[in-house]
Amino acid sequence: MDVALHDVSVVRGGREVLVVPALAFAAGRATAILGPNGAGKSTLLRTVAGLERPRSGSVSIGGQPARSGPRPAGAVAYAFQQPVFLRGTVRSNFHLALRLRGVHGGSSRRRIDEVAAACGIEHLLDRDAHDLSGGEGQRANLARALSLRAPVTLLDEPLSGIDGPVRRQLLLDLPWLLRDFAATTLLVTHELEEALRLAEDLVVVLDGKVHAAGPKAEVVRRPADQETAAFLGFTILPRGRGAVAVPPGMLRAPAGESGLTWEMSVTGLVDLGTHREVAGMVAGMRVSARWDGASVTPGERVTAGANPDDVVRFGA
Amino acid sequence: MEAIWDGLREAIRLIATGDATLREVALRTILVSGCATLLAMALGVPAGYVLARTRFPGRTVILALVNTGMGMPPVVIGLVVWLLIVRSGPFGGLELVYTKRAMVIAQFLIATPMVAGFTVAAVQSLPRELPDLLATLGAGRLRTLWLVSREAQLGLLAAVMAGFGAVVSEVGASMTVGGNLQGSTRVLTTAIVTETSRGDNERAIALGIILLAMAFAVNLLLTMAQHRRVR
Repeated sequence: MDVALHDVSVVRGGREVLVVPALAFAAGRATAILGPNGAGKSTLLRTVAGLERPRSGSVSIGGQPARSGPRPAGAVAYAFQQPVFLRGTVRSNFHLALRLRGVHGGSSRRRIDEVAAACGIEHLLDRDAHDLSGGEGQRANLARALSLRAPVTLLDEPLSGIDGPVRRQLLLDLPWLLRDFAATTLLVTHELEEALRLAEDLVVVLDGKVHAAGPKAEVVRRPADQETAAFLGFTILPRGRGAVAVPPGMLRAPAGESGLTWEMSVTGLVDLGTHREVAGMVAGMRVSARWDGASVTPGERVTAGANPDDVVRFGA
Repeated sequence: MEAIWDGLREAIRLIATGDATLREVALRTILVSGCATLLAMALGVPAGYVLARTRFPGRTVILALVNTGMGMPPVVIGLVVWLLIVRSGPFGGLELVYTKRAMVIAQFLIATPMVAGFTVAAVQSLPRELPDLLATLGAGRLRTLWLVSREAQLGLLAAVMAGFGAVVSEVGASMTVGGNLQGSTRVLTTAIVTETSRGDNERAIALGIILLAMAFAVNLLLTMAQHRRVR
């Protein structure tokens, strides 16, 4: 099912926290809603789920305008950022979720076994849900949402609180799980890597507004505006009366043969193991560039540069 | 000290001999306070849930009223109820004054803020997203209330204990609206006052011990229920 928002405005405490003139999520695709903390990503997800009542505008799911309030049973599955379980085992929590969706008995048991095997949580099923560790809880939380096999699956920071090898494994597993168990997926994240690995489309939300939306390659390679570029890790540098956004890792010093160059006053050199980065000031802005030279001392002036074909230009 | 031992001996004697007056007063105490607590739960639990989970204009004022009500002297509540139900009062026609129903009303007004206040605390201690989770799963309002109450059952049992404890031990309101009529509205607390004023300290202490034992038994049952839930 596709999801569309029209002229949506959400107000909280007298402040407009989300404004979406028009936004569509394609059916059958995974879309990452990307933005910094407090940008309005979760509010957007909650609005789609019907948990947030917009002051104006409408949300439609599968072409049908959705009523205000929670969506019709079965339309959406939601995995909250903080795993929430009721008293009892993980299995009993799954059974309750499925029972509320009208799935009982053998069908419920089959679905639980299926999703538990796919998510690697069979060993957690008979554990007390309140005794799970952060990572275990997050996996069970995700598995419960997937077990519902809803037309629209909403995941709020599905990897929050998980780090190290478990996170890396889940980053690899999740796209397959979504392909098998979820039709249309909207997932919220503040990490670009997570968004790129898990989703096909990207929506960038900054300060309550949608700044960019589309296939991820398009959004990431050609940021729609300077704010989006800065959030995606581009280095924004002045050029004439406009600005140039250099993709992450593409600003190098010394400049060499690069066509675009900037004078940089060095403040330090950082060894990142695989390569070194020189930090410094360009036109009053603190920037860093990949350092390919021998050695450099603070206060020295070097030339940083980027390939004109790699950069995105804004303004004149 | 001797008076306490004499009181204890008298209490054992009254219970052992199956004193009819004592049985009648004790049963009336349980009936009146039990009914008031049940009614307080019927209103206090949903009200506490709404106060804990929703935001609306005037919520803070209502919360402050609930908190004030939790510490309101029972005799003041009794006085207000008496003024309302006395023959010359606005509800005098209902002929409630000096009846068990009047005592239930007064005790209900004492227990409800207790139950609501404890429910607010119990529900607020649950994950904030729990009702949202249940809503997205498709649970209706009543089912959500039931499932959230089940999650908050430890706090809700504490609410019952606090509510029952407050009303079973109060004397001012019951005396004012019930009149302490023998064979009709006398309960353990008002009986203790009567026996003390008569100078029968042994019987007063005996009644006090029985009241304490009764309150302890009810709380023991509820505490056992709480612990069984925890396991």
